Amino acid sequence: MRFTISREKLQEGLSAVAASIPAKTTLPVLANILLETTERGIRLSGTDLDIAVSTEVAADVETPGAITIPAKKLQEIARELPPSPVKIAAAGEQRVTLECGRSRFKLLGLPKDEFPAFPAVKFEESWRIKSGDLQKLIQHTSFAVSTEESRPILNGVLWELRAERMRMVATNGHRLARMELPISSSGAPAGDLIVPPKALDQIRRLFPAEEELEIARGDNHLGFRSPFTAVYTRLIEGPYPNYEQVIPKDNDKYAIADKGSLTSALKRMSVIASDQTHRIRLSFNAGMLKFSVQTPDLGEAADELPIRYDGDPLDIGFNASYLLEILRYMPTEEVRLTFKAPERAATVEPEGWSDPAKYLALVMPLRLMD
Amino acid sequence: MTTPPRRILLVDADAFFVAVARQVDPEGAGKATLLIVGGSAQSRGVVCSASYEVRKFGVRSGMPIQRAIRLCPQATCVPVPRHACSDRSRAIAAVLQRWTPVVQASSIDEWYLDLGGTEALYDEPLAATARRIRDAVREATGLSVSIGCGTNKLVAKVAVEVAKPGAGGDGVHAVPPGAEVEFMRRFELRDLPFVGPRLAERLARNGLRTVPDALAWDEPALVGLLGERTGRWIHAWVRGIDDRPVASRDVQKGMSREDTFPRDLHTEEELERELLRLSGKVAADLRGDGLRARTITVKVRDADFVTRQAARTLDTAVESDRAVATVARELLRRLRKTRRVGVRLLGVALSGFGEAAAPDQLALFDGEAAGGEAPEPPVETERDRRLSHTLDALRGRFGRDVIMPAALRERPSREPGAHRSSVPRVPRGEGPE
Repeated sequence: MRFTISREKLQEGLSAVAASIPAKTTLPVLANILLETTERGIRLSGTDLDIAVSTEVAADVETPGAITIPAKKLQEIARELPPSPVKIAAAGEQRVTLECGRSRFKLLGLPKDEFPAFPAVKFEESWRIKSGDLQKLIQHTSFAVSTEESRPILNGVLWELRAERMRMVATNGHRLARMELPISSSGAPAGDLIVPPKALDQIRRLFPAEEELEIARGDNHLGFRSPFTAVYTRLIEGPYPNYEQVIPKDNDKYAIADKGSLTSALKRMSVIASDQTHRIRLSFNAGMLKFSVQTPDLGEAADELPIRYDGDPLDIGFNASYLLEILRYMPTEEVRLTFKAPERAATVEPEGWSDPAKYLALVMPLRLMD
Repeated sequence: MTTPPRRILLVDADAFFVAVARQVDPEGAGKATLLIVGGSAQSRGVVCSASYEVRKFGVRSGMPIQRAIRLCPQATCVPVPRHACSDRSRAIAAVLQRWTPVVQASSIDEWYLDLGGTEALYDEPLAATARRIRDAVREATGLSVSIGCGTNKLVAKVAVEVAKPGAGGDGVHAVPPGAEVEFMRRFELRDLPFVGPRLAERLARNGLRTVPDALAWDEPALVGLLGERTGRWIHAWVRGIDDRPVASRDVQKGMSREDTFPRDLHTEEELERELLRLSGKVAADLRGDGLRARTITVKVRDADFVTRQAARTLDTAVESDRAVATVARELLRRLRKTRRVGVRLLGVALSGFGEAAAPDQLALFDGEAAGGEAPEPPVETERDRRLSHTLDALRGRFGRDVIMPAALRERPSREPGAHRSSVPRVPRGEGPE
């Protein structure tokens, strides 16, 4: 194998794949990157067995072939190279030379056969979705996934694909985010997929918004493909909890607040809130929202914000960081909050959003002790 | 306006464990001059403390008891009187708090006091106040303490070593403001707190043995030799400079119970039984402090001294015996899966504390509402918590053995020492019930 590539193209390919290379591994070949020549240049691939990323960049191929070499070292070398064309050649299977200007490197590689094969997914039966639409769903929901190990199913984002719409839902059991977009029918069967957020991060990072992606599933994997780049991920198995059931339909109190002012007030209250519970109290009265927080051994704080509210007075406790996080992803200047009672789920939605998407966040209160 | 010099004391109980062991057992330990506290002569635990007379034989804290006995075969060995030690420690702290609110417990037998702002209140030299504190502790608890006084924690800590009766002191040593460097000059670097054997050896290799040796080096040279952090504090410390505050509210980060067994344990059944016992004890400690914990850690030391641990952090903090034991068992099984050899020591630690009274975050999917397949049951239910508190109340009234899990009945048992050592006891036989 022998090819010449610009330093920039090499760095571009490496940075696309780097995130899929595990920092620590018991299988040595996983610390390596797979380099293969193609008709258009070279393909770089990496995997940690949960997720695999593969991308193709332009290069002048002299002799076709394939080899794996230590990813971290190759990346460090590429970063320090002078701005000249990089010549890479593999003599035999395990000796890779890299030349750039007057610099020369020899690296020990591992044969291509040791590199795990990519999961078999059936791209002939694929959904075709605009990358931008997918990214919009990911951005607005994946923050809400659980990071606790106790319920693995909640460590993933639920992605429902239907003929006319797709929807993503994420929750940690205390707060939840759901977004839905209409899509044009695309032939592939409906599906419910539970995707690790790590893979979704890569989708957001690697595919330009205007690109159309082909998405297909294998037995327990999902593949995303554009003309140059592919991402594969393991799916999380098991039934997702029935989230529809916990989204309140009879919340009869609602408030409309300015997102910026609400965020500022919550941040001020958070300073005094307990580091563990982040508990604050919200008191809704006609036209006015009062905030208060009391933390033993620390102190107390209060604030007020004029809002639109004409329901019965309501006192409700929340984890301030859950509310702040939800507000961060709300796409509008104003937000609409709905409630039923102090110990029932509250919802947050964008107010006055002229967008085909439907977005809703939900947060469970903290029990007020007094 | 100049700030007045800081007034810091370090109060250190003299041979604390030995003194308490003598108090609780005046006929046995009380009469033994050569006394080792840590476990019986047959135990495989370590020396927790030894009387000054035994220390002359080279016996040190942390040394395996077996080795200590070889050094001093005539010594009497007794278990650590754990409860009495905590009681006496609290009693001393209570006395100290009468003198200043800023008391930081540095360990079970060591407290830092900040007497800043009390100059007018105690119109006398700092050493005189220290002597009065010493008398007050002795009067209230019958225990003797030594006190080091200085302008910071480091100087106070080093001064107390000079004050100790074992070192020929009279119980109080005060270093006046401005005399810090002069005072420090008499020490070897390995006498300074936080200078362990490894660092001392590294320093010695570069000709740095005593404080005056190090005083000859400027800060960049020490940083060059030892790295940024170590270089800087060594430079400051040999000059008697230390601006660490006395933190009166030292937040507890974790608690643990562990046990070194008289013989290595091999079967899963034995191990799980010991784990159940330790889980129950550490959970009771937790409830005793009114806390709940989110992180449970199981530690295993294999027969070849390889130490491994596994931890799990839960969504919500727990406090019941059942919850701690369930998670601990799962962790032990995970550890045993990777390596299944004889086990010398087993421990359960709890951390990630929340106050038990913390308000509950309501959950979206509670019990049946989780939908789909049967949801994973909550690690701890209200019933578990109530049960544990009821057991605590029963044990508080009728003694620890009044009620126990069936798995722990009718078999030899042992009592774990505080964190470090263990104490085998005679078989209990039939558990009273």
